[in-house]
Amino acid sequence: MNEAIQQLNGTLSLIAPDAVLLAAVCIIFFIAPFLVNDKGEAPVGLRHRWGFFSLLTLVIAGCVWWQCPPVPRTLGMFALDELTWYIRGLTLASGVVLVLLHWNQADDARSAESHACLLAILAGVNLIAAANDLIGLFVALELVSIPTYLFLLLPRRDAPAQEAMLKYFLLSIFSSAIVLFGMSYLYGATGTTSLAGIHAAFAATHGQAANPLVAVATVMLIAGLGFRLTAVPFHFYAPDVFQGAPTSGAAMLSLVPKIAGFVALLRLMVPATGAEQAMTSWTMTPAAAPLLWWLAVATMFVGNLMALMQTDIRRLLAYSSVSHAGYMLVGLIVGLEHEIQKDVLNHPVVHSVSGIGAMLFYLAVYGAMTLGAFAVLIAAGRKDKRIETLDDLSGLSRNRPALALVLAIFLFSLAGLPPTAGFLGKLNLFFAAWSQGYESSRWLAVILAINAALGAWYYLKVIGVMFLREPIDRSEQPAFTETPSLIAAGICLAGTLGLFFMPGWLWVPIQSIMP
Amino acid sequence: MTDWLKENVLWLIPAAPLLACLWIVLVGQVVRRKYAHRPLVLGLVVSLAASLYLLTVVVPQGFAHDEHEVSHSVITFVYQWFKVGTLDIPVTLRADAMSALMLTMVTSVSTLVAIFASSYMKGDPGYPRFFAAMSLFVFSMCMLVLAGNFLLLFVFWEAVGLCSYLLIGFWFQKPSAAAAAKKAFVVNRIGDFGLILGILLVWQTCGTLDFATLFDSSFVIDQMVRQQPEIFHWICLLLFVGAIGKSAQFPLQVWLPDAMEGPTPVSALIHAATMVTAGVYLVARCTPFFVHAPYIQMAVSGIGAATALIAAITALTQYDLKRVLAYSTVSQLGYMFMSLGAAGAGEGLAIHAVTFAMFHMFTHAFFKAVLFLSAGSVMHAMGDVIDMRRFSGLRKVLPITHWTFLAGALALAGVPLLSGFWSKDEILAVLAAASKGSAHGGFYQVILGIALLTSLMTAFYTFRAYFMTFWGPEKFPEEAGHHPHDAPPAMAGPLAILAIAALGIGLVTGPTHLYGHYLHHTPGLPHADEFPLDPVMMAISSVLAIAGIAVAYLLYVASPGIAQNLKRSLSIGFKISQEGLFIDWCGYKFVAAPLRTLASICEFFDRWVVDTIVDCFGFIPALFGSVIRPVQNGMVQNYGLVMMIGLVVCLISVLRALAGTM
Repeated sequence: MNEAIQQLNGTLSLIAPDAVLLAAVCIIFFIAPFLVNDKGEAPVGLRHRWGFFSLLTLVIAGCVWWQCPPVPRTLGMFALDELTWYIRGLTLASGVVLVLLHWNQADDARSAESHACLLAILAGVNLIAAANDLIGLFVALELVSIPTYLFLLLPRRDAPAQEAMLKYFLLSIFSSAIVLFGMSYLYGATGTTSLAGIHAAFAATHGQAANPLVAVATVMLIAGLGFRLTAVPFHFYAPDVFQGAPTSGAAMLSLVPKIAGFVALLRLMVPATGAEQAMTSWTMTPAAAPLLWWLAVATMFVGNLMALMQTDIRRLLAYSSVSHAGYMLVGLIVGLEHEIQKDVLNHPVVHSVSGIGAMLFYLAVYGAMTLGAFAVLIAAGRKDKRIETLDDLSGLSRNRPALALVLAIFLFSLAGLPPTAGFLGKLNLFFAAWSQGYESSRWLAVILAINAALGAWYYLKVIGVMFLREPIDRSEQPAFTETPSLIAAGICLAGTLGLFFMPGWLWVPIQSIMP
Repeated sequence: MTDWLKENVLWLIPAAPLLACLWIVLVGQVVRRKYAHRPLVLGLVVSLAASLYLLTVVVPQGFAHDEHEVSHSVITFVYQWFKVGTLDIPVTLRADAMSALMLTMVTSVSTLVAIFASSYMKGDPGYPRFFAAMSLFVFSMCMLVLAGNFLLLFVFWEAVGLCSYLLIGFWFQKPSAAAAAKKAFVVNRIGDFGLILGILLVWQTCGTLDFATLFDSSFVIDQMVRQQPEIFHWICLLLFVGAIGKSAQFPLQVWLPDAMEGPTPVSALIHAATMVTAGVYLVARCTPFFVHAPYIQMAVSGIGAATALIAAITALTQYDLKRVLAYSTVSQLGYMFMSLGAAGAGEGLAIHAVTFAMFHMFTHAFFKAVLFLSAGSVMHAMGDVIDMRRFSGLRKVLPITHWTFLAGALALAGVPLLSGFWSKDEILAVLAAASKGSAHGGFYQVILGIALLTSLMTAFYTFRAYFMTFWGPEKFPEEAGHHPHDAPPAMAGPLAILAIAALGIGLVTGPTHLYGHYLHHTPGLPHADEFPLDPVMMAISSVLAIAGIAVAYLLYVASPGIAQNLKRSLSIGFKISQEGLFIDWCGYKFVAAPLRTLASICEFFDRWVVDTIVDCFGFIPALFGSVIRPVQNGMVQNYGLVMMIGLVVCLISVLRALAGTM
């Protein structure tokens, strides 16, 4: 009995920040119904209180996170290594921005539940990062998916939002099923659900012939998680859902599932640091690398080419998020190839940039710039009319010059121009791919560069609309002040510019992840 | 406290103006717009104090005590900007004797100019913008001087160029100001292109851009000299092209006179005292490179001499007071380059050549600043009229301005015992020594001749401007109103201080070797014996200065008729000088016009050939979209189907690949 309690305590200390978030979720779900009357009305301004409560929760979780430094990996359900620690920090920081974005999106009566869903999603992402077991990984993935459906529906219940939610719901369970399928094969091939055990099983099969079961599992897992990454051809939901969902929902979808998907892939593909390296054995990577190569190329091209033709700003950002997933896939592939090389040659090759490091850096940078862009869209909207098409943005520089400038900075960053963090992020990815030395990864670097140029085309188009066109809507409505999203935009701006001048802040912890 | 200060004084110098800039941009634009100068003045006073502390306490600690020791520089590592694999870009600040002296000059002159400007710019609608740009300039200039590697130097080299652009075009509503700003920016690009190529070449040959590694010990350079000595000619040539652009040397000097469209304090600070001397600083800083490239040093001297002569000839006949001073600046910068190039005559002269160039830069900063600010004071009183034909005899109504201008003019002309005399005389002496040397003596004799001729012309045109402005019958333009008033205290104070500096600073630091001995502690400068004063050159230059002043007095005060007759009888020569030897015209005719033709050909090509190709590419997304669009039709069952197909394709391809390996 005592031993069990001790074990539980030990496990809890590994996931303490997530436990804080989930506790807050329970509290909100318990209290919220009592504050709404029978007609479904709530006191005016209740959403501010729930917003502050969410922020407070995130701050407490952040303190707990800071107090829980990485520990050596164990064989239990959860692990707290450098990757977990980094991803937790990233999720909590983006959580703060998302809470601020979501502040006024839901009305008073429904804000409690939607905030709780957001916190649950964040906890889910953290648990994915901490997962050390296939079961834990799957449960954590679902902890991200299921609250997402509610999060998309709760703020607005009009027809477009319902349609968007339903599409996301159906395709998401489809992808979850594929992931589960892949996991079952992986279990069948290795006989264990522990990730460390699976990698150990791979390592034990020295020089054995490739296992078709593992190959099928690899394809299934990549396809299922590719849905979260919006990798082509699993990206179709993104434009429709981004367009229909509330802006904060679109912002959340543009970042959080990507973190979840990439971390899950990393956990499945790369043995934990310090573990025995598998030599010349059949791991998942050799099957995954060429598949991911094609996925990355298709994702970059489809995302950018489709974005070129969009007139709806959300659809444009959706395709932009597809293309950025492609850029990050480049980093992942290069990193995985690096791992194989390490295996085959059995000595660490000194590279200028680690692909996985570049990918993790880009993830943070992408979070800052894309959330910032959504924050400006929320702040630039009017009470009765949100920003939908490119035309709604025309002449923004006349009406709200500061906002237009800030959005321009985020778009410059997305396009990868200095002095913004997006430039350094793309530079890292490019270096990582180029210095790998393989022909295939050199091609990836070239394709990445071509796509960066394609991307600049439509980002600059938006900037042109804001700065060169006359405002279309001349109605003298008072611009409605969205203080929380202005603060969020400020945080993202600080990140986007700060990471250009001080990339070391992020780069140093990342380098400890992948030595 | 003192320990803390010793460690942190380096970043304090640029940080103070940067904070002032941020404060003015973020707060000063809105609140207390009239007092936007205060943060800048405060920041500059802090910077000045820190620079003086650096000059007197921190840097001398690293000095060598005897000949065998090597002086070392003060280095502050600010942070690692970027480190990815082999690419390593740290932000480091480095100060040695040369940068400490330069910083003191920059911060002291800018403090005085800022105080002057607080009164001069009063009432301008862009008051905070002016001071924000000026703070940014001082920050960039300090960083340029303190840069610990070539890359940082280049970044701030561009930043001062940007500030210069912003400030020349400060009154951007005026088409001439906007055009001048554009011209300065474009002409500078040519030089900057050379500079960045030079920096890349340094990186490629030496593998590092760090000043401490390159200059503090001679190891890296010695190695390169053994391996590929001829590469130094290319490096130095490219670096010198950068210096030509920034310091307005022939043939890129065309931008500086036009830059006078900016407010006068800007002309005094940026386009006379500090920024334009960055080229001189760059060449002096890279002396360890240049000593291995004697032919490039001759080119430096030659270009300097050509510039000095052309600018002096042009200055003879200008009617715009500020333009006279602008050409004089170009001419004096030419002097500095002449001196720098004198090192080509032998390694023993290198350190003296650099010292005297830097010393002339130091004294020039003070007397040229006072001349410009006095000209600004004249403009202020005359209602922004600057054409010397429209006013005269101002010495009664503007007594303070008159005296300060006279002090600056005497110093510039090189009247014995004043600042300009000492520094100019040293340049002449080192040129004389170079012309006596065995290597290329004949070449340096020509340079010396040009220097002496220029010195005569300098005295003449300076006093021509002085006499035309302050002597003769009292005459005001109607813009001035009825009672032109002299400089208010905020303008008169800086003027007086600068005038005193212009008169005395040469005597205090020149013959006492205060400046020279301090500068000799700069790491990387080759050692050499003392350089004796040259009484012959002193005598000649004194005679030339006084002769020039006397001729100016004769022509413009004693008998103005002679000047008119001369002008009529030498009308062609007058016209040539007036138009600046038609260099601008040649530039338009032989550079700009062919370029314009080329541009229109390119435009044609671009519009009809490139655009068509791009338009064809533009169809690709549409074409692509027409393939994808039927799938992307909002039907969720379609999406599921395509995902399923994708999955099956992935599966088949992987299993096929697997079958191949099995």
